[in-house]
Amino acid sequence: MKPIVDLNYYFEETGAAAKSKTGPEIYISVPEEVFNSSLAHIAGKDVVLIGLFCLQNFNGHTGFTLLYVLEKRSYSRIVIIERHLHEPYAASIAAFFPSASWFEREITDGFGVTFPDAFDKRHLFLHEVYPEGFHPLCKDFKNRTLKTRETIHPDSEYAFKKMTGEGVYQIPVGPVHAGIIEPGHFRFSVIGETIFNLEIRMFYKHRGLEKLAEGKTPEQAICIAETISGDESVANAVAFAMAVENIRRAEIPKRAWQIRTILLEMERIYSHLGDMGGMIVDVAFPKGASHFFILREEIFRLNQTLTGSRFMKGIVWSGGLTIDIQPHAITELAHYLEDFTPRLKSALDIVNATSSVIDRLETTGVIKKDLINLLNLTGPAARASGEPIDNRLDHAYGIYPILELQKRIAEKGDVLSRFNIKAQEINDSVSIIRALISQLADGPVNVKMDNGDGWALTLVEAARGQNLHWLYLRNGVIERYKVRTASFCNWQAIEHAVLGNIVPDFPLINKSLNLSYAGTDL
Amino acid sequence: MQKIFRPFGLFTPKVTGQIIFHDEEYEKLGLQLKDNISSIFGRSLAIRELDSGSDNSTEIEMVNLTTPYYDVERFGITFVASPRHADILAVTGAVTHNMEIAVRKTYAAMPKPKFVIAVGDDACNGGIFAGGTYAVNGGVEKVIPVDLKIPGNPPTPYDILQALHGFMAVLAKGKK
Repeated sequence: MKPIVDLNYYFEETGAAAKSKTGPEIYISVPEEVFNSSLAHIAGKDVVLIGLFCLQNFNGHTGFTLLYVLEKRSYSRIVIIERHLHEPYAASIAAFFPSASWFEREITDGFGVTFPDAFDKRHLFLHEVYPEGFHPLCKDFKNRTLKTRETIHPDSEYAFKKMTGEGVYQIPVGPVHAGIIEPGHFRFSVIGETIFNLEIRMFYKHRGLEKLAEGKTPEQAICIAETISGDESVANAVAFAMAVENIRRAEIPKRAWQIRTILLEMERIYSHLGDMGGMIVDVAFPKGASHFFILREEIFRLNQTLTGSRFMKGIVWSGGLTIDIQPHAITELAHYLEDFTPRLKSALDIVNATSSVIDRLETTGVIKKDLINLLNLTGPAARASGEPIDNRLDHAYGIYPILELQKRIAEKGDVLSRFNIKAQEINDSVSIIRALISQLADGPVNVKMDNGDGWALTLVEAARGQNLHWLYLRNGVIERYKVRTASFCNWQAIEHAVLGNIVPDFPLINKSLNLSYAGTDL
Repeated sequence: MQKIFRPFGLFTPKVTGQIIFHDEEYEKLGLQLKDNISSIFGRSLAIRELDSGSDNSTEIEMVNLTTPYYDVERFGITFVASPRHADILAVTGAVTHNMEIAVRKTYAAMPKPKFVIAVGDDACNGGIFAGGTYAVNGGVEKVIPVDLKIPGNPPTPYDILQALHGFMAVLAKGKK
């Protein structure tokens, strides 16, 4: 047996062979001949592949470098393995880290680095309209408008998995859906009404955000972070700003972090309220849903009062905030939140007293706990399946370390569990905001930062789960910006959660996770 | 007095308390819009929403138009499930290459007369993608003809309704 590198060692505080430059992560390298065996050794336990991406000419190496980002449960340290490639191909790790499959396909599209032994080698974000051999993230491609195909020959169409058998039929849905919703394609294979396979095809909204950010200063690019997903604009802007601040070693004023945290939690509240209302709409109970939508609209209006934007865009800035919040807005928020919890409770009481609703939510769309580490599922979806992970505590950032916060856990992993977890988290967010308002510090809300180059990893807990940002600044501008939102990984959970359910429950299961298409497609 | 047999909960109607919103300006705008819709579209304006590559905040604001605070259905506006039922196609987001064919097909599926509204900065002129990027074609007008642009990042539900009101006024003039 080949000797392997024990990667577990690097998660220990004492095992810091390579000292981290910034943030919670350490960078190590593993000899190529034992690379796959070392990773296979730690797979399937409590080590999770939370990110895998590529870049060129990194850290003194000419050519492609793959960065494997690993997290170990209950350890705060993040281990990043640098894999310098001499040729534009590498061995796949998707067989033992299934979450790598989409990552590897993404790398092949972006850079042309292939994984010859991978079980799925189809295109990911470059659909059939793009020319063959086009790899937009390579440094020799200068970003510009592109002429793409206007028609697609049937032979070059994307190959969905074929399902055959007596009574089996397929239902293609999308990319354009019936409701007001983002585009994506769902290919159901069904027997009678029961789903026995679902294949999801995303990336219809691929906007090339990572490439767009390259060559821009952090100040020019923060609006790109905000546009990753409109309803996670604060979370992504904070993650981006934190990365810049880590690289430039800036200390952010306490007041700025308190306000950021208020905004992050406001975002969580309106996001969860929308999910809950949506779930109730999808079981055809609009009366019950309307209460959640009323509360949500009121939060949107408060966001507007606080920041001038209903989605709180344009306020988070690298180095703090662009503007301070007016005292009257804070007072209004504090006053509003006084009776928020009882109002939410009365909305919940209506739902809980309606057995036909509970009947639809219970035992529907179960996400098994075994999948969580394999697919890197995060956020309320993971917590509702009994995995106590929350980035605000596991890799606490900003002022979260000093806040009183607890992890909300449910065991069953069904739609009802996710509904209940979200309700509890809204109340927790309200408590956090109220506590922060009562102890809001005085002083400035931003600092002037020195210019500086380098790279940093940041992880934030957005409403949907863990968002990963990795930023590399060179000569004051962005050399590479990699984003992996919670939705990117959580989408794959739906393919498993729907199995054995009936087709009419799909919208409900989908809504209970409410994933961002924009945040996945980038 | 006659006794009414009433088993628990069975014949008592379930009612929630009336929710009263005081937003007179919005109500006035909505009622004017309703009048215009009545005269131009025969009481019902059918909108098909199409996301061609937005950041999803614009969709959220479109959905918000149907929630209790705004409830545009009472003014005669419905969001329909198929382009075949639609008078107006409301497109959000700059058009990505991956969505371009779907956008053209959706537009082609609409019966005439048909109108296209670009909702949000990205849909209007490409927004942050206007400088040119490999993945995005540009504003909606690069792909299908646009009749009305509603700027904003994203426009608020009130903005959208106000723009529709203005658009109806323009159409009403054309009709006379």
